[in-house]
Amino acid sequence: MSRAAVAGAVALLLAIPFLTANQFLLHLGITVLMWTVLGVAWNLLGGYAGQVSFGHASFFGVGAYTMMILYLKVGLAPWYGMVLGGILGAVVSLPIGLICFRLRGPYFSLATLAVAEIVRLVALNWEALTNGPVGLLITTLPQVGFGSRSLNWESKAPFYYIVAFLAAGAMLATYGLSRSRLGAYLLAVREDEDTAESIGIDTVRAKVTVLALSAFFTGLAGGFYGLYFRYVDPDAVFPIALSVEMVFMAVVGGLATVGGPVIGAIFLVSVGELFRERFLVGHLIFYGLFMMLTIRYLPEGIWGGVRRALTTHASARHL
Amino acid sequence: METFVQSVVSGILTGSLYAMIGVGLTVVFGVMRIINLAHGELVMLGMYGAFWGLTLWTLDPFVSILLWTPLMFLAGMLVYRFLLKAIIPGGELNTLLYTAGLSLLIANLALFVWTGDYRTIKLPYALLPMRPFGIAVPIPLAIAFGLAILITEALYLFLTRTDLGRAIRATSQNVEAAALMGVNVDRISMVTFGLGSALAGAAGVLLAPSLYLYPTVGEILVTKCFVIVVLGGLGSVAGAIAGGVLLGLVESLGAVYVSVAYKDTIGFVIFLLVLLFRPSGLLGVGKS
Amino acid sequence: MPLLDISDLSKDFGGLRALSQLWFSVEAGEILGLIGPNGAGKTTVFNLITGFLRPTTGEIRLAGTSLVGLKPHAVTQCGVARTFQIVKPFPKLSVKENVTLAAFMRLPARQDAEAEACRMLDQVGLTAKLDSLASDLTLAEQKRLEMARALATRPRLLLLDEPMGGLNPREVEDASALVSRIRDAGVTVILVEHVMRAIMRISDRVVVIHHGEKIADGPPDQVVRNPNVIAAYLGERVA
Repeated sequence: MSRAAVAGAVALLLAIPFLTANQFLLHLGITVLMWTVLGVAWNLLGGYAGQVSFGHASFFGVGAYTMMILYLKVGLAPWYGMVLGGILGAVVSLPIGLICFRLRGPYFSLATLAVAEIVRLVALNWEALTNGPVGLLITTLPQVGFGSRSLNWESKAPFYYIVAFLAAGAMLATYGLSRSRLGAYLLAVREDEDTAESIGIDTVRAKVTVLALSAFFTGLAGGFYGLYFRYVDPDAVFPIALSVEMVFMAVVGGLATVGGPVIGAIFLVSVGELFRERFLVGHLIFYGLFMMLTIRYLPEGIWGGVRRALTTHASARHL
Repeated sequence: METFVQSVVSGILTGSLYAMIGVGLTVVFGVMRIINLAHGELVMLGMYGAFWGLTLWTLDPFVSILLWTPLMFLAGMLVYRFLLKAIIPGGELNTLLYTAGLSLLIANLALFVWTGDYRTIKLPYALLPMRPFGIAVPIPLAIAFGLAILITEALYLFLTRTDLGRAIRATSQNVEAAALMGVNVDRISMVTFGLGSALAGAAGVLLAPSLYLYPTVGEILVTKCFVIVVLGGLGSVAGAIAGGVLLGLVESLGAVYVSVAYKDTIGFVIFLLVLLFRPSGLLGVGKS
Repeated sequence: MPLLDISDLSKDFGGLRALSQLWFSVEAGEILGLIGPNGAGKTTVFNLITGFLRPTTGEIRLAGTSLVGLKPHAVTQCGVARTFQIVKPFPKLSVKENVTLAAFMRLPARQDAEAEACRMLDQVGLTAKLDSLASDLTLAEQKRLEMARALATRPRLLLLDEPMGGLNPREVEDASALVSRIRDAGVTVILVEHVMRAIMRISDRVVVIHHGEKIADGPPDQVVRNPNVIAAYLGERVA
């Protein structure tokens, strides 16, 4: 994809809040972008390193709760809380990785599932910290001024820019990773861990590093979730379904690609909205169905298939 | 002391059902090396089968099990033949993801069709528990336990005494060698998946009178059963049984002596502790 | 001081004693042949040296430093590289990428690593196949790819696990010549092989293992006449 096309897409993205004041469309855009961050984050570990985690919701929730707790109990502004949420997500990922990476392949996936469930149950029961099933609520966001005007939190536009910024950051990180030595190492780890070890790759360090990066962005997204929706509870931010949806997005969009999760996010959100209107709950049926269809007929995902069909040029490899 | 014995008994009863679900999972893994995340949904279908059997046809679950088990067996074979068979060559990861999708599909179809309302099965003879030696034993659970033992015993005999059973065991030990010995691996895989599904469905029917029914119950069940199966050794029937009973015991005792709220966490924490100190699982599986 | 020194090395797998108090050493610049009937424990020795297995007892020293307890990547970083009995290329990556990955260890910058990879591939004669997928190569080519990959880590000691297995006589000749060239370039080699012709021709010394124990250690022509060795192989004639 040429630089011009990328620049054009970015410009369009940034212009959207000016092109429409339709709050619903903006909401849709925000949701897509938030899911993009999640998909891209998950993809770092799942697509590049080949480690399928079914427990990423734990980092999302940690990010969300960190932001909420710091704002509501300590008064730390949500944007700082969001960043700290990401950092805490990364920190939490270290012991999780050290335990779970002792297993390989599907066993690793199951371990992450177990971890995520533990985290969810702890959040549900540790009422002193998290308010348990009642959850945490933000009633007012702090005043932020730019010159003489202050940000209007009633409009969706500021949220849109925040999440767009996060999404851009995540995709940039992915792009940087794909061109780095660590990125190459991760692909080797994905192919064959033992062989990778034998050529001098510290597989544990590689996996832990990429997990921390992945957890950081997931935590950031969690912090944003709290900021935007202003309410978190354990069922919203820690459920297995959330982790599975992240997996779904990356798989349907295209593993180990920069653009894949974006497509996956757009797909997921549009399918979700479409069916939410008609059927209220049916949309997950179609997530499942599309996951199955993708694996069966288009294992590289939508973006992967498109990329392969359009071009065989070596530079496209980095997308 | 009485509380302790009561917990142990409860634990073993529930554990036997966990074991049955785990055996279904492990047998499928042993033969086909696939991790079926939709296994929990198969249990759920069995549970709802029991419910509708009672509600629509006034069939006692312990009778309708005779209907649902063969149906689940057939359903399992069809799922293998028309869905899974094409996916398996794509690798363990792809199959895992595919069954994750299948799990989402089935659970949410059930949610759509049957709604998320909690259902219960009320059996007339369930009201008064039996009291052997002063320990309260709910009758449906006791019957379920008895049937679970029978079924497991039947499975054991099947696997060791029949040609088909031996072929299954051979395939799970060494696919290539079995194929060279004339075993039709494809047919065995189909039968095994049917078997695993039948076990799951049967376990669901047996569990139905003792649990709340809701379409996403499969999620937590399958997670717990995977913990069992990984700890006991993927592919090991004995391991799954031991693991299931152990988990039942641990949960039951944990609920009484540690905390009711964290009851579900205990199994997972033990799982992770085992991974920390014995990374290859309890019986030496775990590193592929 | 020998480059590699193995002393009192034993490995148990549950009740099975795979290696029993094995000891031998390798001098820098040597080609050491490691032979023995199937199941004698030769690949186990490699797995122990490279850190894939931990010894039950015993010591493995590379230029005086103990390798015991190091993870495989650390062993490689110390300067020990290996090839595998059953070739393990990264099938979905290109030939060049396969070797670049190994070169990254010493040369973190991609350009440098790729240049080194091309050099190594040239040494083994695979320049024509730089951009092919590793899985598209013939067996002989894949074996050479593995050697290039191992060499890209700039090892002091190279462990070759049956590099001639599955090759026709012409390919065996070429592979033998390649191993000699590698040694001449300054890499010490331990060669596990069943193809006697190759071992006898290029090894400076041969160690024979049988049932996990060393039964002979010396120059090839001496070892071949050793009655214990003949008995162990029972009927195999050396060309």
